[in-house]
Amino acid sequence: MKKQAGVVIGCGAIAREHLAVLAEFDHVDVAAVCDISPVRAESTAERYGVPRWYTSHRKLLSEVHPDLVHITTPPASHAAIARDVLGEGVNVLCEKPMTVGYCDFVELKQLAVKNKLMLMEDQIYRYHSSTRRILELVKSGALGDVLEVQICVSLNVSADGSQYLDRNSPHFALSLPGGVIGDFLPHFAYLAYMFVGPILDVRTIWAKRVPETPLVADEFRALIRGERASAYLSFNGSAEVDGFWLRVVGARMRVETDLFEPPRFTVRRLRRGEPALMKLVDGLGESRDVIKGSVGGFVRKLAGRSSYDGLEELLRSTYRALELEEPQPIPLAEIDETARLVERLTQSEFKL
Amino acid sequence: MKALVTGAGGFLGRFVVEKLLQRGHSVRAIVRPRSTGPAWGGDVEIFPADLRVGANLSPAFDGVDAVIHLAAATSGSEDVQFASSVVGTERFLSAMAQSSVKRLVHISSIAVYDWSSIRSVMDEMSPVAKNIYEMGAYTMAKVWQERLVTRSASSNGWDMTIMRPGFIWGPGHSQIAGMGRQSGRLYFTFGLGTRLPLSHVLNCADSIVLALETPLHGIHTFNVFDTDDVRVRRYVAEYRRRSGKPGWIVPIPYRAGLGLATLAAMTSRAAFGRRGKLPSLLMPKRFESQFKPIRFSNEKLRRELGWVQPYSFQQCLDFTNAEPGGKENEAPGG
Repeated sequence: MKKQAGVVIGCGAIAREHLAVLAEFDHVDVAAVCDISPVRAESTAERYGVPRWYTSHRKLLSEVHPDLVHITTPPASHAAIARDVLGEGVNVLCEKPMTVGYCDFVELKQLAVKNKLMLMEDQIYRYHSSTRRILELVKSGALGDVLEVQICVSLNVSADGSQYLDRNSPHFALSLPGGVIGDFLPHFAYLAYMFVGPILDVRTIWAKRVPETPLVADEFRALIRGERASAYLSFNGSAEVDGFWLRVVGARMRVETDLFEPPRFTVRRLRRGEPALMKLVDGLGESRDVIKGSVGGFVRKLAGRSSYDGLEELLRSTYRALELEEPQPIPLAEIDETARLVERLTQSEFKL
Repeated sequence: MKALVTGAGGFLGRFVVEKLLQRGHSVRAIVRPRSTGPAWGGDVEIFPADLRVGANLSPAFDGVDAVIHLAAATSGSEDVQFASSVVGTERFLSAMAQSSVKRLVHISSIAVYDWSSIRSVMDEMSPVAKNIYEMGAYTMAKVWQERLVTRSASSNGWDMTIMRPGFIWGPGHSQIAGMGRQSGRLYFTFGLGTRLPLSHVLNCADSIVLALETPLHGIHTFNVFDTDDVRVRRYVAEYRRRSGKPGWIVPIPYRAGLGLATLAAMTSRAAFGRRGKLPSLLMPKRFESQFKPIRFSNEKLRRELGWVQPYSFQQCLDFTNAEPGGKENEAPGG
């Protein structure tokens, strides 16, 4: 079978994650990389053995004819590059957020539909091993009906030396609606949508707790009423202990995982028996899960596995769909729901 | 002479500017706009710019005779270091190519060498690291920086001197990689008798200004080491005594440390293949680049530039550990 050809536009940290995964795929060749900085493009090509490098994505598209373009540039440039790529009749996999505003996404979507092309967003935590475990528990009925999902991020973006505070070279996330938190909103949005379904109502609180930083906000809370259940979202920008907690409360079971620390995953289920004894059994079970997850996480780091658990599966699914000419793994309608929810989260009650 | 100095607000940069002023030169110092630059007296013009962002650098070269390029990151993630050291250099060189300036002194590092292949003496003929992506972010960035400046100097016909200092130390920067690792009150060293490739910031600045003043045509490279023979044992003892951080030295023979790193690397390879990751101390090539017991030659610097080390190790120690702002903090004899 013919090998698929991919190209990567934007040669920063996330591009290296894509290239490291692609290097392990037998069925994909990376045909070229591109960056506006020649040395960044050249060094990336040298490092990953990519035969060609460019500083203009238009020139790349005119000389290379890939099956898929990975867009890994800062978000402000996504829409313009994706428009050019789709216009050239090439499929797109774009880093999140795909566009800074919803209206740009609508335009890209229309172009993709018209040209019958794939327009994927890199929703990596959807493919995270722990997220997939929870989905299996939902699907099998073991978790029962989903009642609530809590998605809580703690990241010390206000710490001294934080890349987000460098006023000499402002981080790209600062220009997004919601600033640094805005960079996380797509993750919040698609994870919430997966568990609670179409969104009916959104309430938010935005706050800036640490003064004299360039951040527009460092604290965020949201309540979402979905068709199937409710979601609680939170971002703490000055918590020194970081974490990306996904908790799903079902009618029969409660599961909790730290998406930053796979495969850490704990389960508490309904048990029949003497309550005091069952509490002990639950506690021992959770302790076992925590130790197992912590050891597994350590071994995972030694093994050099990407900190972006989920990226490999997302890329594999995307290339498989291209190869088999199947629909894109994440339906465009769901990416649309994500983009709309992000817009609502930043627009509703955006008060400091 | 009027010199343009990038990275002037950094640790080495501020001493280089001071030395330039002492020698009667005028300076245009590039300092990040929102950073607080040192309060130099004398003929210093501040040019606020951050090489990482697309600022217009052309006016910085007006009326300049030569450039000292120091701007680089010495810590931070791979992206942070590459952006500061390499992409910043790319932007700077592009602006310099549009100017009439034809003389560049570039500050590199001995991190660019392939320490594993050096048998006894590191000199300017020693080979440069090949597979730089196995090394740390700093080595990667410094090698790419050298590649860029060499290409630009060759294609534009510039005269360029590359200076490769050893471990630069001085006030606030006396904990160096070669002394080992500190954990609480324990100092783990890897070869107490190993020579350290030291370059005190005063001596380093002196050699850089000398390189600027010495007319050399074409591209030349010099290692920058102090002449004193300082071993790990003495440096750690002085560090403990003068830094007010007493503790116990845990001497680990170099061969034992390297053997452990080799064993860890082999185990990682067997268990996880080439994607396996280890701390830098357990990666043999990185271990060697910090602790390998070899000699470090500054003979070319002394012979071709006539450099004489201005401050002895003892004087540098006194200067480094004096109270900030105190009388002893003035450069001895300077």
